[in-house]
Amino acid sequence: MLVRLATRFAVAASAVGLATGALAGNWWAPGDGRPLPSEASYANATGAVGILNTAGTIDTAASPFFQPLGKNGRACVTCHQPADGMALSAATVRERWEETNGQDPLFAAVDGRNCPNLPASDPAAHSLLLTRGLIRVALPWPPRDAAGAPLPVEFSLEVVRDPTGCNTSRVYGLGSPQPTVSVYRRPRPVANTKYLTHSNFGVGPFIAKSGLPAVRDPDTGLPTSMNMMADARATTLKVQAADAARTHLEVREPLAPDTMRALVAFEEQIYSAQTRDDAAGDLTRDAPGLGPRNLAAEPAGVLGNNTTRWVFPLGDTWRQPQGGTETEREARAAIARGHDVFMFRTFFIRDSMHLNSVGLGNPVKRTCSTCHGMHMTGMDVANGWMDIGTTNLPWAREAPLNPWTKETPQLPLFKVTCNADIAPHPFLGRVIYTQDPGRALVSGKCNDVGAIVMQQFRGLAARPPYFSNGSAATLRELVDFYDRRYSIGYSEQEKHDLVAFLGAL
Amino acid sequence: MKAMHVASLLAALVAAPLAADEQHTERRNFVACPIVRDTASVPCWLAEYDGELYFLTLQTDVSSPVTPPWLGHRVLVEGTALRERARICGGVVLEPVVLSVLPELDAACNTDVLPAEDRYNLTFEPPRPPGPSAGRLAFAGAAAPPPPAEPPRGFTLRYDFDGLIVFRHAGELTSILDAAHARKARSVAITGHRGSVLLSDGATLVEKPAMARRRAEQLADLLRGAGLVDVDYRVRWEDEAGAADGDDDAALRRVTVELDP
Repeated sequence: MLVRLATRFAVAASAVGLATGALAGNWWAPGDGRPLPSEASYANATGAVGILNTAGTIDTAASPFFQPLGKNGRACVTCHQPADGMALSAATVRERWEETNGQDPLFAAVDGRNCPNLPASDPAAHSLLLTRGLIRVALPWPPRDAAGAPLPVEFSLEVVRDPTGCNTSRVYGLGSPQPTVSVYRRPRPVANTKYLTHSNFGVGPFIAKSGLPAVRDPDTGLPTSMNMMADARATTLKVQAADAARTHLEVREPLAPDTMRALVAFEEQIYSAQTRDDAAGDLTRDAPGLGPRNLAAEPAGVLGNNTTRWVFPLGDTWRQPQGGTETEREARAAIARGHDVFMFRTFFIRDSMHLNSVGLGNPVKRTCSTCHGMHMTGMDVANGWMDIGTTNLPWAREAPLNPWTKETPQLPLFKVTCNADIAPHPFLGRVIYTQDPGRALVSGKCNDVGAIVMQQFRGLAARPPYFSNGSAATLRELVDFYDRRYSIGYSEQEKHDLVAFLGAL
Repeated sequence: MKAMHVASLLAALVAAPLAADEQHTERRNFVACPIVRDTASVPCWLAEYDGELYFLTLQTDVSSPVTPPWLGHRVLVEGTALRERARICGGVVLEPVVLSVLPELDAACNTDVLPAEDRYNLTFEPPRPPGPSAGRLAFAGAAAPPPPAEPPRGFTLRYDFDGLIVFRHAGELTSILDAAHARKARSVAITGHRGSVLLSDGATLVEKPAMARRRAEQLADLLRGAGLVDVDYRVRWEDEAGAADGDDDAALRRVTVELDP
């Protein structure tokens, strides 16, 4: 079985040009005990990603981030690997499967299988994790407030397709004694977190895109940016750590205050970004926006979608690079051209909830940096969930169904019907088909169906696949998605350059 | 048209009714599918009514007092036509103008973006280019009033037709919240209203019966949700839609808030 699996996934990986994952020596197992140096570099498919720890070398034997905390043997580091930019690539997942015969705690039943009731040793039971790097996220239905009371919901939810069996399970599904929705999402990087938790521009008592109240930090009482998780269900590092410990690590008791402080402190001091490109050389040279040191130095929560403070400052020398080999000069120039595509290439953005609905009109003629505007990360500065169609039909990637293909749908499909007494979704109407209702599973709002919090652009080369549902295997597929979605009409040169630019971040 | 700069033109669209009085003006209230025309810089938003093309607004950014409508939806246009003003993108300028995107999808309103034509290119610099800005919002600080000597007691929020709270209310809601805290308000009186609009063809559009109640209750919920909980909420609404005269009917779609003290 293992040989067949390895062969199958090797073929699949080769077919789509997937990067290799964290090399065996780079894997951090829970309780590993090695010190994490203040600066480390890990090779990936196109160069190397750098990890900067501003507090200096970390004794991981004493850091709860690296220690198994719950019953399944996982640590935070299990899904937030330094070599994967403090996230987790699907290639790394496959390597762990092969090296451990599926015994690594990464494959824990609770969320490392498509559903906990599936057989542990069957790779098909872990197919979403193995092929797309997706972790099962089980959310209560209807959603609940911080005190556990059910929230009002503006829509009904039906399971149309359930390839994992979890949403129709009598034990784990919507009809179970504790009604639960299972969706499948990529782990996000635990790095550069000051940009995720800033309280700067765009953060206020009311969400700038909807006028609804912002979630507040339970400790300080202050509004939060709500930009950390795909559905913004946890908005501070502390709340996220508690949620992750309970759900992913299966920690039964609340984390001790010292443990929580240590986790948050570690997460606030880690920075990650690509530092070397195999073709372009040292990325941190003459580039104030690249590399983890610059991430640590720059201010968080400021707009970069302007000509006075760029999203990702490169420096003028990148446009006409001097020195090095011709290959290096061309690769650096391609990155600079890709930057200009990102900043200046306009196209019409249409039918995207929480972008076209916030005063810009539908469609709006703008650029990538309109939405991906936060200085240094390319996140949204304000509360950043948006529906660009990565999970909502008709734009989400679906398996083509016909008699001549063996590809079958991997993800669940839900039918959302917005209640008659509210306004319909502005761009999708009253009936929406989605692989993941996204923010709506937390807010209960029809307008939030399929809206996903955009994530940071750093260390991308270290952690394919992309989008919250892992539907883009490569950066090229990511660019192609946007090209299709918005009828941009990128040239091959523009696509090449944009991929080079994104890979350098 | 003599070249104009930035905010002066679009700000004039909403801030200079006196100038309009001196010209030949006509009220134009109508419902239509919006039309978007590309230009060499930002797109123009237009609409046709009774054989005439009207200019509604330009694409700018979230700070604009008039924001563009949406393809896929009809738009309620309430404006004053200035026929002596030079046309923009081929359309008669409406100034001031209030635009309400109607909530229901309308498949008839999905014409594509009209291409740019030299004859319709803007003769002035738009407040905000289509790409990165110069480091500020298009209308930031354009008409910032001096801070009041003491936090205000009364507030009026205006709404889109058949609409509830949207993005542009976030600042107003914050002002209410700040004032309530600053005044140590003990009670908040919220009164919801719904409106009607006298259209130029003589018909009257009336908002849904529940809108006044929904607006009032939503506002109270939002303030509570933002932490304003230790106050007495007095929430009421006017069931009857305000009578339209075709002049400033947009003002009928409102919620008033009174803080005590």
